[in-house]
Amino acid sequence: MMTPSSQEVTELLLAWRDGNEAALEKLLPLVYDELHRLAARYMRRESPGHTLQTSALVNEAFIRLIDQQQVHWQNRAHFFGIAAQLMRRILLDHARGQARAKRGGGLHRVSFDEGAIVSEQCAAELIALDDALNALAAFDSRKRRIVELRFFGGLSNEEVAEVMGMSLRTVEREWRKAKAWLHHAISEGETDEA
Amino acid sequence: MRPERWQQIDQLLEVALDHPPAERDAFLTKACAGDETLRRKVESLLRSDEAAQSFIEAPAVGLAAEVIAERQARLRTGQQLGHYQILSKLGAGGMGEVYLAQDTRLGRKVALKILPTRFTQDAERLRRFEQEARAASALNHPNILTIHEIGQVDATHYIVTEFIDGQPLRQRMNDVRLRLSEALDVAVQVASALAAAHEAGIVHRDIKPENIMLRRDGYVKVLDFGLAKLSEAPPEIIDMHAPIAAKVTTGFGAVMGTAPYMSPEQARGQSVDARSDIFSLGIVLYEMITGRAPFEGESSSDVIAALLAKEPLPLAECLAEVPRELEQLVAKTLCKDREKRYQSVNDLLVNLKAVNQDLEARTNGRGVISGEVAAVHRTSAEYLLNEIQHHKRAVFLALAILVIASVTLVYFEWPGKAIDSVAVLPFVNASADPNLEYLADGIPESISNSLSQLPHLKVMSRNSVFSFKGRNINAKEIGQKLGVRAVLTGTVTQQGENLMISLELVDTRDNSELWGQQYNRRLADVFAVQEEIAKEVSDKLRLKLTGAETQQLAKRPTENLKAFQYYVQGRAYAHRRTREDLLRAISYCEQAIKEDPNFALAYTGLSDAYSNLGVRGYIEPREGRRKSEEAARQALALDEGVAEAHAALGLVYTHYAPFNFSLGDRELRRAIELSPSLAMAHQYLATSLARQGRLEESLEETLKARELDPLSPIIARTVVLPYYLKRDYARALELLRQADQLGPPFTTLLEFGVYVKNGTLDETLGRLEKAKLERKDDPLLIYGIGIIYAAQGKRAEALQIIKQLEQMSGSSLIQAQWIARIYAGLNDREQALTWLERGLDAGANAGFVKDEPVWDPIRNDPRFTNLLVRMGIAT
Repeated sequence: MMTPSSQEVTELLLAWRDGNEAALEKLLPLVYDELHRLAARYMRRESPGHTLQTSALVNEAFIRLIDQQQVHWQNRAHFFGIAAQLMRRILLDHARGQARAKRGGGLHRVSFDEGAIVSEQCAAELIALDDALNALAAFDSRKRRIVELRFFGGLSNEEVAEVMGMSLRTVEREWRKAKAWLHHAISEGETDEA
Repeated sequence: MRPERWQQIDQLLEVALDHPPAERDAFLTKACAGDETLRRKVESLLRSDEAAQSFIEAPAVGLAAEVIAERQARLRTGQQLGHYQILSKLGAGGMGEVYLAQDTRLGRKVALKILPTRFTQDAERLRRFEQEARAASALNHPNILTIHEIGQVDATHYIVTEFIDGQPLRQRMNDVRLRLSEALDVAVQVASALAAAHEAGIVHRDIKPENIMLRRDGYVKVLDFGLAKLSEAPPEIIDMHAPIAAKVTTGFGAVMGTAPYMSPEQARGQSVDARSDIFSLGIVLYEMITGRAPFEGESSSDVIAALLAKEPLPLAECLAEVPRELEQLVAKTLCKDREKRYQSVNDLLVNLKAVNQDLEARTNGRGVISGEVAAVHRTSAEYLLNEIQHHKRAVFLALAILVIASVTLVYFEWPGKAIDSVAVLPFVNASADPNLEYLADGIPESISNSLSQLPHLKVMSRNSVFSFKGRNINAKEIGQKLGVRAVLTGTVTQQGENLMISLELVDTRDNSELWGQQYNRRLADVFAVQEEIAKEVSDKLRLKLTGAETQQLAKRPTENLKAFQYYVQGRAYAHRRTREDLLRAISYCEQAIKEDPNFALAYTGLSDAYSNLGVRGYIEPREGRRKSEEAARQALALDEGVAEAHAALGLVYTHYAPFNFSLGDRELRRAIELSPSLAMAHQYLATSLARQGRLEESLEETLKARELDPLSPIIARTVVLPYYLKRDYARALELLRQADQLGPPFTTLLEFGVYVKNGTLDETLGRLEKAKLERKDDPLLIYGIGIIYAAQGKRAEALQIIKQLEQMSGSSLIQAQWIARIYAGLNDREQALTWLERGLDAGANAGFVKDEPVWDPIRNDPRFTNLLVRMGIAT
């Protein structure tokens, strides 16, 4: 497989930042491929049962894919945003697949995919979280981005603050409120009531 | 909720959080100022804040990484892994994806399974799995899948095994309800495999229908010995009373077992022995017999609870006439206490065989001959003996068939039944290999092509015949639908490197078989088979082949099957004529040419597609003409005798103004001479004649084309043309509606004229708008809306459309002729003539038909007559 030049990826990233939506479509698979490669390596390096909890993966993808000379530090935000969204999408696809496999089994035969990485319960939780996050984004896209970067991208509050160009204090406050909103939406099953 | 309200709540929440918990109440009383709803909302969010301490604090990035890493193990067709080339995906399971692959070193087909990354990280476990898998394979038992190799390329671990031509038991059970004899036969063979493995100290641990393959010849193969070991929990968890959850934990990162086929001891996480396999086989047997699982539940934990505590329904309650011995046998395999179960598979095997023999005896006693004889293998020696007898029988049968066939041929040459028309149906691919699909389509296509070249025999075109693919075939019904006297059907099966093709020629009047034959060939010889079949069928159709005709039959269009398949697919799309379909046709033909650069037919497909793109303004008409002509000439250079190439060239001359009808018609007639059954040659000729105003002759040709290819959407549309030009609008509309049943509507210019003349304006407009949703920016649809507006007298709207078309046309004036038509519809003679002239200058008057009613407003103008002359149309 051809590895794209960092020049190419960087240009796509900048084009997307400048409002070229088509650039994102080209960018996504490239970022995905890189995450792919890195993820397999991380999995080998980690001892079984121990899972990656940090942004190391995304960070490394960024360093490998993007020409650091050319990119202003603010563009990190775009890249991390993309990576986190990608992680969210992948995980949700997987969770929905799980949920479908279960439903498809019907009454007589519950279909168990023993290859499931995500358990039934966890899949349901992820889907609920995703719905709640979408509902939250309708009012406050900033909170959505913070949740994506932290939960799906593995960034710390400090990193989120740096990437989004906000104070640490703001990130902490927004994160806490976002959690309250999401938890509330999921546990009460209400997302949009007056 | 309104955004302002949401903002208000969020801000209050923020300030409240800044207050110490004890002071929040007072703060809210003041801040909410009696708005109780607001207060309740903020309070409930504060409660959530407390409950959400650890909520989503641990990131899911690791989980996502795991999912991504897992996905990496997917291979693409054509990819090379070590010395294996991936041919297609056979399936996916929790234990990895399985592919059909070609072993390029040994030149054989194999099954290649990729092991999921998470199971291969522990080197020690991987080693133990390998050891066990190899040990099982080394038993060399006929019911145990043979492993060729366990290997690794980079981080990808894989197992290569023999490729089984058949289907998993799971699929079989989904497709049909198994007969009792079949269920018992499968159970006997699985038990035989287990007996051998257990004797060698190997426990399978994961017996389930997905791991049992049914080979086409009746042999059952058990897969994945040792594999379960990889996914199992580490051995230290051997706690007699461990909670069930230990095995089926939920939460991030947990792995689940195959709950529905677990034994109680497995579900408890206890140590597992041979008796666990017996329980699992019992579940499979129960399910085969009754069609339902013995232990059911909504979720994995429900199923496990059921298998630990509940007794399954007796077989007798699910099925009539269950032998008592079988009931007892199944109950004994499903004992929760393993001490009360069968203690060895051999014991079970003895009982299974006894039940099976009783059943056979009873069935035969009643005079009902069971369709298949269940294979009963006793010992290895007996098995061998059985095998030999089995083959002997097969040899004898083959001989018998041969004899009968020759006798039939000598004495039953169907006197008096002259067969003058035939449809060669797509063959049924009865192999598990999806790659053989192209043979199943390609061989009949080739036979049909060869037969088309014979005079006096009408051969139904592939396009019409293709709609019967995959259907239950009733020759009589097809005969009526297509108007043929005989249909040829076939089945392709593959065994290893051997290919078996069974053919049947059926009389459509009474469904009687006229002729049948089987061909057994090596896969590599497929073109020779094709030739043989084509020749033989023609013989049987009592055609006296002259020497020249025999030569024609032997001609192979290409040696490359893939190329042929691409070409066939490309042609199928081209018949639909939308922009997307035509572009797809081009891409397929290009792929065909890439496979075989000397494949003349592929160039003809390319030529036709470019012609049709240009004539519809989907590409610049001049470019369409140029590329089309180039491709047609290329095809002729490769092979002057290809009818399609002459047809394609004829189309170029008669499709684009200025026309050259004498040259074009000559090419078209040459095509018909070469291949009288080539529907499209008749169709192109019909269109050419219509452009020249020779409507009766045109009608005759369209009817011939339709007879040869009654299901082609574009040919059905061509039949409309002469009626429309003869101004029989009602009949034209009727035929157009029929054509719409066959393919997408609005793919030719003439259609809109038919609607205008019939006055179905609003309805057509509605359908156009709907079609536009799918075919965005299709200029043909935009033109259609414009001409309808003009007919409705909506001048301003029509002019708006003209503007749009003008913009789309650009400097090359692609849609000039269409703009002229709308102006004519608006009775703006000056503009109509001007645009028509401009179009001609720009080479854009493709597909012009002088007799179209749309030109009536300018027909008598001398400028129009002058235009006709310039376009090469006699006046």
